[in-house]
Amino acid sequence: MKSIQKIMQSSALMLAAAVVSVGCGKSDKSGGGNGRAKAKQRNEPVTEVTWTTLPSVEEVKEFYRADADFFAIKATTDIPKGLKWEDGSNEPVFSSPNAKRGGTMNVHTGDWPRTLCFVGPDASGSFRRHILDNNALGLVDNHPESDGYYPAIAKRWAVSEDKRTVFFELDPDARFSDGEPVRVSDFFFHFYFMRSKHIKAPWYNDHYDNEKFKNITIYNSRTLSLTYYKAKPDVVHKVNIRPVPEHHYEEIDEGYLKEYKFTFEPTAGPYEVRKENIKDGVSITLTRVADWWASDKKFYRNRFNPDKIRVTVVREPAKVFELFRKGELDWHGLSLPEYWYEKLPHDAPEVAGGYIHKVQFYNDIPRPTWALRINCSKPLLDNKHIRHGLHHAMNWELVNKEIFHGDFERMQTVADGYGGRSNDNVKVREFSVEKAEAAFAKAGFNERGTDGILKNAEGKRLSFTVSTGYKRFTSLLTVLKQEAKKAGVELNLEILELTAGWKKADEKNHEIVFGGLNNSVELYPRFWEPYHSDNAYKEEGDTKYNADGTLKVSLNLKPNTNNATVTADREIDALIKKYREASDLGEITQLSHQLIEKLHDHAGFIPAWSKPWYRVGYWRWVKWPETFNVKQSRDWEEFHVHWIDSADKKVTLDAKKGGKTFQKVVKVHAQYRK
Amino acid sequence: MNWKLNPLTIRKLKRFQSVKRGYWSFLLLAGALFVSLFGELLVNDQALIVRYNGRTYFPVFASMYPVKWIYKPSEFRSGIFFGEQTDADGQKYTGEVHYRSLQAKWEKEKSANWILMPPIPHSPDLSNFKAGVKILAAPSWEHRHFLGTDKAGRDIAARLFYGFRIVMLFALGFTMLVFLISSALGCLMGYFGGWTDLLGLRVVEIWANIPFLYMVMIMVSVVPAKVGMMTRILLLLVIMVLFSWTSMTYYMRASTYKEKARDYVSAAQLLGAGPIRIIFAHLLPNTVSTLVTFLPFTVAVAISSVTALDFLNFGLPEGTPSWGHQLRLGQEFIKEKPWIIGSALTAIFLVLTMVTFIGEAVREAFDPKKFSTYE
Repeated sequence: MKSIQKIMQSSALMLAAAVVSVGCGKSDKSGGGNGRAKAKQRNEPVTEVTWTTLPSVEEVKEFYRADADFFAIKATTDIPKGLKWEDGSNEPVFSSPNAKRGGTMNVHTGDWPRTLCFVGPDASGSFRRHILDNNALGLVDNHPESDGYYPAIAKRWAVSEDKRTVFFELDPDARFSDGEPVRVSDFFFHFYFMRSKHIKAPWYNDHYDNEKFKNITIYNSRTLSLTYYKAKPDVVHKVNIRPVPEHHYEEIDEGYLKEYKFTFEPTAGPYEVRKENIKDGVSITLTRVADWWASDKKFYRNRFNPDKIRVTVVREPAKVFELFRKGELDWHGLSLPEYWYEKLPHDAPEVAGGYIHKVQFYNDIPRPTWALRINCSKPLLDNKHIRHGLHHAMNWELVNKEIFHGDFERMQTVADGYGGRSNDNVKVREFSVEKAEAAFAKAGFNERGTDGILKNAEGKRLSFTVSTGYKRFTSLLTVLKQEAKKAGVELNLEILELTAGWKKADEKNHEIVFGGLNNSVELYPRFWEPYHSDNAYKEEGDTKYNADGTLKVSLNLKPNTNNATVTADREIDALIKKYREASDLGEITQLSHQLIEKLHDHAGFIPAWSKPWYRVGYWRWVKWPETFNVKQSRDWEEFHVHWIDSADKKVTLDAKKGGKTFQKVVKVHAQYRK
Repeated sequence: MNWKLNPLTIRKLKRFQSVKRGYWSFLLLAGALFVSLFGELLVNDQALIVRYNGRTYFPVFASMYPVKWIYKPSEFRSGIFFGEQTDADGQKYTGEVHYRSLQAKWEKEKSANWILMPPIPHSPDLSNFKAGVKILAAPSWEHRHFLGTDKAGRDIAARLFYGFRIVMLFALGFTMLVFLISSALGCLMGYFGGWTDLLGLRVVEIWANIPFLYMVMIMVSVVPAKVGMMTRILLLLVIMVLFSWTSMTYYMRASTYKEKARDYVSAAQLLGAGPIRIIFAHLLPNTVSTLVTFLPFTVAVAISSVTALDFLNFGLPEGTPSWGHQLRLGQEFIKEKPWIIGSALTAIFLVLTMVTFIGEAVREAFDPKKFSTYE
């Protein structure tokens, strides 16, 4: 479960492993924010780079030389002629011209971060989004309102004719927070860093090895190229990496984890963590880099506005909410119905008085896949008719109506929210006792026992265990259970701890597992991880099928993969293979449609709901663009388009003391609603 | 073994009766427990009696042991059985009939058929959305949700009621097991003395120093997922007993030491009685006052610890009606829905108070200073 993360909190979707990748820092060079941008270095001339002028220590150079096919240094003249350079200048600006710089943002985190490193053990906690996911800059950035890109560290970029190689020209202004310029060699170093065993991050070791990335070439002090293993329509996104400050690390050895655990890696992004702002166990304050190099760039202007972001550790959710109501935290997620309707209803004094505004924002991103995943390798569940019957026996409509106040939408397919790649013709099977009974009857279950549960001629009952690690959703499973009984199915609920629930599915020990997986924002869905037979059984490729396409008996289940439905189907395998090899978006779209249809028929995945919006309550001194946020935002914070009006904060607090009220604001922004 | 009540015991019982609040608490609590054992007749969404087309059915008994063994309904009583083709949602009504709506319908039609429902016509496990009752609804007389509904739309009164049964049975089981272990070991140590006592006592001391709450939490959290609901409850019981039996051992050991020195023990030994016979036939009946005195307090400890564990999510499995879960829900909505925590707290308060009153009365009745037999 890598780029697809298990969802830990529904209010704030967590850490989709991002475009931008990873590293970690030490402080002796990064301390002090006294306008260290070394202005004199700006606009320095473009120079050729050679192995001798490469600013790496000998050991790192050794590392590069040992893999000469991968790390290459060429001359400026080697840059192919006739490249079509792009700089994102056609893309729309998405920040607000009204934004004001300044103020302190007060937010919370559920636990003290165990490290400030970006990768490695414990690095992917919920604090990481403040310093990495929402902060660090890669070569380019995905534009959140279109399918295009806008410049970040790279000023412009060009894709080669074969769509495998991307050329990047760095922005000469780009600086790390310690004042050092971002160098082309920092992208070489990125691979050195990510491939190091000492960072103890096997996923990154794998992801950045020679398998997917085929080459990185430096042409001069501004230009580099990266080559992906195959042509892809979104190859720019695939090879987009983040500079790792070589001057900060020089080299990585076994002391890395210990030495850099709580030192912040200098960042090219807007916020840094200075040593004096870390209050052990209490709070971490991020400060805006003085004279940040990208402050006035087209796509960064009027964003990242607060001077400081104070992240306080508050462990108890009830306390977090009380602090928010008191105004000590600036915002609180209200996506859960109990917050939106019960704890902070529209007539709550803070809302009615206009001190706290409530907003519901419809976004447009691939949705987390909340679903029941059926283990197709288990007895009875290996029968397609029974799976079809189960689809019709799940009353998600009632769950949505009663538990979620009708606010959610039914998810329709295995891959909703991928624009044209999603197949809108496929519709989910609705709750229907009659249809469920008909499907079960096809599998031989046509008689009700005295308890109302269907049984077959041998007296076997239709009874399955639904496991989950999501305690907070026990109530909706209870509803499903009582409704399924109408259709003659008994569901036994097994409510586990979060990790235990997923572990069960990882080991493929479940019958049916309920849960949600987070998807990163991508152009087209992934099918290989969750539906290819190689992720279901240990037997490779076609060896698991008989001549007629049925599965052989006594295959070995493959643990720790995302194929929780244990889908293994020869036709689906073949389609996925073609899909993976396709490089043309039209072909990808067509295959994606076919796959979605096939998987609908295969029916291992019972789509639950999708939440096409997020909801937040915030104090009125937090200001937003008129459209509130951007189309592809996962949460209100991600793109930092908000700002703080410090004068308004004082006015608000004084007014609250004096009993003066403001206009009540409860708003729904539905411009991206489908 | 001769357990005939001796005059002394009768005097103790009389004395217990005379402590009015303890005595009444005892009657009330015992009565409530007795009634709760037949709780399905009071709190249930199954009808007690259905009169349909000239025949009488007793659906509630169909799912009740031991009735289930004797009375076997020949067929499943679905909606269609009672002449209903579609349910409230327009779905084909092959599922179990919804007795409350059927009752309402027949009443409206002034039909000759009738249904008798229990006073609280709700199951502790099922929601009541059909009747238009929302989740976390306020108490309502109309729908007979006397204490409102919880997050899944289940009736809180029904859950408190079955929670009472579970916690009481759990507490009694706990007490019984604790007494069994501690009196057996205590008597052995007290009777044999010497090395047995020395070693036994050290073991007890070491064991007693293991922190109860932590151990229970750790052990409960490593119970494998495939273990069923009932087994989980029994496991919790065993784990709790495992770390709570020690304190009673000291008292039993001390009373055995005291009783052992009496002449009747020497007499029994002279007559050739073995240690087992002496311990169980002679010593145990004479040390029983110690046990009885501690009984109510052990019950109280069991109730409060299982509730606390539930509250912390380490107790009874999710889904079981339990006071601890109810408290947690109440705490979550303490401002918005005060009746949830109010009802759970009241229930706990009442039961614990009654248990304490009983305890007081028992202590009073068994106070050796009042019935000293020393000459």
